Amino acid sequence: MRVDPVRLEIFKNLFHSVAEEMGAALRRSAFSPNIKERRDYSCAVFGAAGQVLAMGDHMPVHLGSMPMSVTAALNALQLDPGDVALLNDPYAGGTHLPDLTMVMPVYAPRNRRPLFYVANRAHHADIGGANAGSMGMSREIFQEGLRVPPVKIMERGRVARDVMSLILANVRTAREREGDLTAQIAACRIGERRLLELAAKYGQREVISYGRHLLDYSARMMAATLDAIPDGIYRAEDFLDNDGVTAERQRIAVTIRIHGKSAAVDFTGSAPLCSGSVNAVEAITWSAVFYVFRCLLDEQVPATSGLMRSIRVIAPEGTIVNARPPAAVAGGNVETSQRIVDTLLRALSRAIPARIPAASQGTMNNLSFGGSDARRSPAKPFTYYETIAGGTGGAPGSPGACATQSHMTNTLNTPVEVLEHAYPVRVLRYALRAGSAGTGKFPGGDGIVRELEFLTDVQVGILSDRRELPPYGLSGGKPGITGKNELIVKGRARVLPSKCTFYAPAGAVIRIETPGGGGWGSAKSKKHFARGKSNKGPALEKRQGQGTPSSES
Amino acid sequence: MRIAFDTGGTFTDCVYLRNGRIQILKIPSTPGNPAEAISIALAQILRNNGEVRPLDLACGTTVGTNALLQRQGGRVALVTTAGFEDVLEIGRQARTKLYNLFVKKQPPLVPRERRFGLRERLDSEGRALLSPSPKEIARTVRAVVRSGAESVAVCFLFSFINPENERRIASALSKAGLQVSASHEILPEHREFERTSTTVVNAYLVPVMSKYLAEIERCAAAHSRQNLKSSFHSSIRKTGARVRIMQSSGGILSARAAAREPVRTILSGPAGGILGAQYVAELAGVERIITFDMGGTSTDVALLERGRSGALATTSETIVSDIPVAVPMLDIHTVGAGGGSIARYDRAGALRVGPESAGADPGPICYGRGEKPAVTDANLILGRIPEAGLLGGAFRLDIARAREFMDREKGSAASVEKFAQGIVDVANAVMEKAIRVISVERGHDPRDYTLVAFGGAGALHACDLASALDIPRVLVPRIPGALSALGILRADVAKDLSRTVRLEIRGATDARAALDREFSKLQRDGFKQMLREGFAGNSVRIERALDMRYSGQSYELMVPYARDYVRAFHSAHEQRYGYADRARPCEVVNVRARFTGRTPKPAIPKLERSGPSARRSLISQSQAWFAGRRQATSTYAREKLLAGNRIAGPALVMEYSATTLIPPGWTGRVDVYGNILLERRP
Repeated sequence: MRVDPVRLEIFKNLFHSVAEEMGAALRRSAFSPNIKERRDYSCAVFGAAGQVLAMGDHMPVHLGSMPMSVTAALNALQLDPGDVALLNDPYAGGTHLPDLTMVMPVYAPRNRRPLFYVANRAHHADIGGANAGSMGMSREIFQEGLRVPPVKIMERGRVARDVMSLILANVRTAREREGDLTAQIAACRIGERRLLELAAKYGQREVISYGRHLLDYSARMMAATLDAIPDGIYRAEDFLDNDGVTAERQRIAVTIRIHGKSAAVDFTGSAPLCSGSVNAVEAITWSAVFYVFRCLLDEQVPATSGLMRSIRVIAPEGTIVNARPPAAVAGGNVETSQRIVDTLLRALSRAIPARIPAASQGTMNNLSFGGSDARRSPAKPFTYYETIAGGTGGAPGSPGACATQSHMTNTLNTPVEVLEHAYPVRVLRYALRAGSAGTGKFPGGDGIVRELEFLTDVQVGILSDRRELPPYGLSGGKPGITGKNELIVKGRARVLPSKCTFYAPAGAVIRIETPGGGGWGSAKSKKHFARGKSNKGPALEKRQGQGTPSSES
Repeated sequence: MRIAFDTGGTFTDCVYLRNGRIQILKIPSTPGNPAEAISIALAQILRNNGEVRPLDLACGTTVGTNALLQRQGGRVALVTTAGFEDVLEIGRQARTKLYNLFVKKQPPLVPRERRFGLRERLDSEGRALLSPSPKEIARTVRAVVRSGAESVAVCFLFSFINPENERRIASALSKAGLQVSASHEILPEHREFERTSTTVVNAYLVPVMSKYLAEIERCAAAHSRQNLKSSFHSSIRKTGARVRIMQSSGGILSARAAAREPVRTILSGPAGGILGAQYVAELAGVERIITFDMGGTSTDVALLERGRSGALATTSETIVSDIPVAVPMLDIHTVGAGGGSIARYDRAGALRVGPESAGADPGPICYGRGEKPAVTDANLILGRIPEAGLLGGAFRLDIARAREFMDREKGSAASVEKFAQGIVDVANAVMEKAIRVISVERGHDPRDYTLVAFGGAGALHACDLASALDIPRVLVPRIPGALSALGILRADVAKDLSRTVRLEIRGATDARAALDREFSKLQRDGFKQMLREGFAGNSVRIERALDMRYSGQSYELMVPYARDYVRAFHSAHEQRYGYADRARPCEVVNVRARFTGRTPKPAIPKLERSGPSARRSLISQSQAWFAGRRQATSTYAREKLLAGNRIAGPALVMEYSATTLIPPGWTGRVDVYGNILLERRP
């Protein structure tokens, strides 16, 4: 069958719009701020063999690793029409426990095999375990919450009440979880409905074969991109500050071998499993590699499994980049994933320096807290989770952006007016962190200062990094300024470690300052400080402390 | 006399009625002072029509959009709750492109040095935690004045529940002579970033828009007086002229109201086009349409699921050049390519078209002053626009000049014709992508739709686009060059009011009393405002709606306020998201009322019926280029076409305001309203 380039383009958009539509349904009908406001979820469409055909523009850290969830669900379960599988086990298709993934087969009427699968993953604000919000300190996975291997949450179109009850009995905020899980199921069904419409309209054979053409097309695009990178061996290393238990630096090492149209990415030399929770399962490492190479392509290229055809990932088992049970993994997904990206980009900057920016903040600044909301009667349990943006790295030709999510995450903030309405907390300050960016010919972006006052006693968890080792600059640019976590009780401030769990009394204030991005190029002459051209309208603004304008074009 | 104006980047279109017939006038726009073109047009209309009694003007304008796109609004200051001065710049902290390592963020409309925090704070229930002292208010006002701002936006946390603090600072700022936009008036809805952003856009446009509107009112009043002096009816006391402005939501409103809330006019012109397209589609019996409005500077596209009037889909999630504008607007997508778009080779040798436009001044090369090749020049070279010119010959085109300058700019192209074809192809690709965004990317198959082409250049490019997108049918309305103005002429006066109430509901009955109270409050305001617009209570139509969600969700569904609104919400939820939970409590977040005052609707008169032969309207034979080949092409006069006429491509249909291109392989059929329906021959 001949591939019609116009049809290919149409199907690319069609599959993508199915994934986007699933995402919109999930966001609009979900209950927890982390899903409905911050959009910490992802949706994707898979072929019958479990290859990704389309992913919504959601969370990079989820997307590269979703195929493994589908594979795990298919290995464990026979999925019939109307069934939906649920899982979160990092050691069986998951990433970390709060990420609950659903996989649903899409059967055409009277077909015996599914035409497609749809899946979505959402980060729930609590999945039980020792810490409210399930994102605090831990040493083994059993402390991190409820571990769900692939099970059926829906069978033949009916919610499996027993499975649902088991989950709800193990989490702090059952009602909210139930609402979010229902929204996830609904999103699967929207995807199912849309795919069946497509199959009915264009014919099953056409839809399936264009799915395959899309995979081939993206594989060809990646091959051409790799071909344009000079052949060679490019090495780099970077470190996490610590694992939260010991003070030891955690090494990420990578060797990228580019040979013609293929690449091998080898993490041999990375740190062994650590005692804390910054261990990443292989799916995350895979996601980070996927993300970095996807960024080298044109934005119009579909993010399918085909992209990874010519890339081999070697992640030695039992290291921080390929964890084994029962290692704790909550932070691997959010912190180690960012550092893997930093390391990969640093290696690539040696091959294609003109296309690689300096390091972005390199952490997600995960903050979670929970307790009992005494404003309601009877007092209502609550848990909340957020990540905080920082500066992005300066790049050859353009300065970094201030207060923006980078690399493996792209979650929004929770509006103050939504946060305070939903939880007993007050935001005291939400501002740019002036002077935190790395200087250079093209400086990085500034981080954020965020201050929250707790209105009730809470348990708090912080998972952050780049508190000791700053985001690197490139080509002579200076590194960004490291982040800082502080707790202020009765007017007395003390610095908190980068990773910790603790109880705080009502009235306590937590202040998080996020890192700035690294600078790119040396700032030899003053005029190079200008952060891009100013538009005619808004005048250039002065940055405190540096005397450099901070508006960007 | 009622006259509608649509100010575009290149032309200002006017439509009015004389003796029950629709009249059209096109005047080159005057971008330096857009009101000037309106004044010129008015003078001309009044000269030709004698006594016209009080003037009733309705205007669509791109003044707001352009000021925002080109970042040429006023110098704005922003006053926020202390500690939240940067909310505007932080935004929602996400990046717009996921897989782009070179993260770029537009600078905010208000730079850091003009953002001021005031020590005040409400809690999430609207109770004051910290009230601003008069001294601090005075200090803030002084700082704002010192900053040199001409317009100020005020947005405090939770002001949508309790606007007291906003009111205090707003009145202090007004007293200091500043134009103030307060968030509780512009958009009394939750989510501080979107509310701040929308309020700032309003403040940014106030100086530009009030100047523009004052100018129009001044010249309308002047013309009106002059006109009355010369007439027998000079004793009529009412010498004032009424000026109304099209809003992005599809209704018109007095200039005074528009000057206060210019943020509601951002899609003013395009909204007129949608109303016009919807009307002609209805006449032609077409239900699902994609509107394609190609003007001189930009192209607007929209997708209409059903042609029912009064049920146009609006969205409050519009983003204009990376800035969220959360007031309700029709769902329209705009790209920067039009007939005046300039073509050039980029550094990598690729041919690019737009977004720079030759506009009305200097205009394309063939208009006589421009020196850079524009899409219009390319169409002229290819024989797709008659040399005789636009606007019924009133505007001659200089083909020799176009050829001379394009030859100089053609780069590696083998001939001027090849260069011209390249320009048309690239422009088409840009517009094809725009249509994909609103159709394919949102899961709508273009094959199910009819393309309604209008704007000065829409009918020239429509068939090529339809071919590329597999759209089976193109509808070219009777007056494609002034359809937006026609839509504006037909628009009703409409005022949308809303209020956030956050009422928890368990059964429909228990909240009805409370909701009725809220609606009667809205109604009082609404009637008052409609009276100012010239509509008394009993002539105003009211539509009531509720924004509802399950308690705990963040997004609402709009349902009409009727007896069974709770049940309506559950079924809307089921339809949209595939499930409903009738046991879960739900919540009414906002109450909304739209007040409409009907305006007289001019109708398009029917044409005489005739046979398929269009020979009597044939003007000339010429040569035009299609896919690299010259072909004999017939040119027809649109005003002579009769219902039932058929024209086979290649052909051109000329009329005052536009040219329709029927490429080889397409056939056009004229319907009884004078619309041309184009289809590809099987």
